[in-house]
Amino acid sequence: MSEIENKIREEARKALESNEVALVIGWGEGSVPFKTTPVFVEKADDVGKLVWNEFCVNNLAVYLPKIARDRRVGIVAKPCDIRSIVTLIQEKQVKRENVFIIGLGCGGVVDATGPDASTPRQMCLVCKKREPAIYDVIIGEAVPLEESRANIVPELPEERQKYWVEQFSKCIRCYACRQICPACYCRLCFADRVEPRWTSRKATVDEAWMFHATRVMHLAGRCIQCGECERVCPVGVPVAELAREMAEVIKENYNYEAGDPKETAPVLGQFRENDVDPAQHIE
Amino acid sequence: MAEEIAVIDKRTEEVTEASNEWQPTILGILCNWCSYAGADLAGSARLHYPETIRIIRVPCSGRVDPMFVLKGFQKGFDGVMVLGCHPGDCHYSKGNYYARRRIALVQSLLNSLGIPEERFHFEWVSASEGNRFAQLVTEFTEQIKALGPFEGVAKV
Amino acid sequence: MSDKIISKSEIQEYIKALAEKFTVVAPMPRRDAPAEFVEINSGDEPILDGSQPMMPPKDYLLPRYETLLKVDRGPEGIKIESTIPEDKPRVILGVWLPDAQAIQVLDRVFLDKNFVDPYYAARRRNTLIAAVIPREPRWSWFCASVDDVEEWRENVDAIFYDLGDRYFVEPKSEKGQALVNASIMTEASNEDKVEKDKVWQRFLEQDILPFARKALYEQLEWDNPIWAEIAQKCLGCGICSYMCPSCSCFDIRDDMHDICIERYRCRDTCQFEDFTLMGAGHNPRSTQLPRSRQRLLHKFKYQHEQFGVVGCTGCGRCVELCPVNVDIRDILSRTCANDTTEPVA
Repeated sequence: MSEIENKIREEARKALESNEVALVIGWGEGSVPFKTTPVFVEKADDVGKLVWNEFCVNNLAVYLPKIARDRRVGIVAKPCDIRSIVTLIQEKQVKRENVFIIGLGCGGVVDATGPDASTPRQMCLVCKKREPAIYDVIIGEAVPLEESRANIVPELPEERQKYWVEQFSKCIRCYACRQICPACYCRLCFADRVEPRWTSRKATVDEAWMFHATRVMHLAGRCIQCGECERVCPVGVPVAELAREMAEVIKENYNYEAGDPKETAPVLGQFRENDVDPAQHIE
Repeated sequence: MAEEIAVIDKRTEEVTEASNEWQPTILGILCNWCSYAGADLAGSARLHYPETIRIIRVPCSGRVDPMFVLKGFQKGFDGVMVLGCHPGDCHYSKGNYYARRRIALVQSLLNSLGIPEERFHFEWVSASEGNRFAQLVTEFTEQIKALGPFEGVAKV
Repeated sequence: MSDKIISKSEIQEYIKALAEKFTVVAPMPRRDAPAEFVEINSGDEPILDGSQPMMPPKDYLLPRYETLLKVDRGPEGIKIESTIPEDKPRVILGVWLPDAQAIQVLDRVFLDKNFVDPYYAARRRNTLIAAVIPREPRWSWFCASVDDVEEWRENVDAIFYDLGDRYFVEPKSEKGQALVNASIMTEASNEDKVEKDKVWQRFLEQDILPFARKALYEQLEWDNPIWAEIAQKCLGCGICSYMCPSCSCFDIRDDMHDICIERYRCRDTCQFEDFTLMGAGHNPRSTQLPRSRQRLLHKFKYQHEQFGVVGCTGCGRCVELCPVNVDIRDILSRTCANDTTEPVA
């Protein structure tokens, strides 16, 4: 780990000293040993702040649309974070030339809520793409993760509905899932509109249902399944699960994956004449 | 939520009173040029179809935002139906192709959330298919009647 | 006012005895989520030892969503229905001491002598608060750094100290006597008292942060460069304020339906972008920096100036849950470290 850490610092120093970038976004030591925090390094002498360990969970691409608008910034990024960067570039929220990507091979990260309470981030357990899709420099190699994740949602539709009612009854509408997501960059979110009022701030199950269901639709073909939304949820709603199921359907139906540099248009912004036809006929 | 279901229930009451058995309330989103015209044709031909369907007219099935479908279920409609032009016949040439993808994903989402898939219907109906429209609404109504009232997305 | 012991194996009976006179509210566990304060029924198994994460008790006294009134238009004309909750005797068990003190802050806001919030008052006026001191303090607690917690003990009606297989129950107020009257309880012995003092001592020995309390109120300034540092990483979600036991900002909205109008109150937070958005479009806190500054100055300075109590009671939830590790203990240590007043040790 520390070899990779040193290389990260070296690359960051080079980029800052040569004025290639205005600053480097990375992870720094957290306020406790089992957390890290996003840091924004502007001076070459401060690269010592950058760290790399299993607690580097944050998807730092979330900062790019604002901070890399008019200048080039460096970003230390895991393969999932890079998929977010690819999506942001495809959607013209950041220019490729404004991002200097220090890509990392990854073995999964850990979500720690206390000194003795850490578990692998759930989406890491189903991650299949551990190499950076694009990068300017690459450090380290992908490490295969041995564990896998059991099915958490029930199979039968009736039980599924009950499961989600139970989960959404916990939702406090803090919008942390939305704020941490790099794909949620809308200046005015549908949930905050009062005209039309798609969903109100009433913390009831049906309003939470409407919010999460719509958010998943808005993320269709754009969610790269980093799992940050689930990690940050203070009440443990497995919000990433719906997006993951949707991504599977999109892959199966349209052979499309979010964060793939070869894609030129969003999945819902294109079509093929032989697309699977959802029309039904009642017998 | 209870208030919203109450609105639907009140209308259902009025309709049910007239026919002595529970009648569902169904939301229909129809594209102006094909399916809505088809519904119009059913009307002018005096073909009978159930009063259970409440139609919202949109210019094209490509206009149908998945949120319309989700909102329909959140508000407590017993069934939701989206109808558009046959592929290749869209008045705006491509709208229904985009709708195909969007609707397929809404169906998948409803499935993920455990909402019974029989409560949502999607089909192509052209302007000349008045008969078919009437038959479709009749059959969908029967299908929903068999399922019973939709107790809402928050039912336990 | 005598101290009593209740064995953990007899808690169900104890609760049953309480339920004869009070509606009992306690934290109930949930799958994968913090425990939640709800009215419990006989047979429920609440978490009374304070050992697990829980939602703040404000969720019970000031619910996340509360109808304020309903207007119906029926055949007889317009009818307005008030929805003020029942003012009945209640007791809230299993409250962390920092959360109990936070209720004091809420009381200042909602039970002000000039205007008493009827909804809050109905739930609070006849409610006893029973605090719990767990075996070990939580790693994120910093109560002892923000205030004199010995004084906090006087603001609750009773305190339960977890002695392992039993609780030492110390009534603190007149009304709190009702919590030590159950016949199933036994007198506390001297050994029990010694144990209890040890548990209290461990509570006091939470990490003490290197700042002086006076510094908090006097030294946090408008121009401190730390606001920019926080704002750079803060994402403006609502976790810190929604989970904070003393934050109480709310929004009032009307929902109109065919049949009736419902006016309700729901949570709001100064961290959302539209919190200060006005009807004409002006937004004085449109960026994160003024919002981050507002939160901290309000919690540590303004509330103290206004009410004489510290807004923050050191419960540590924001520290544990912040998605980007904005750690308020760290911020305070860095901004108020230069004070020359003796730090509390």
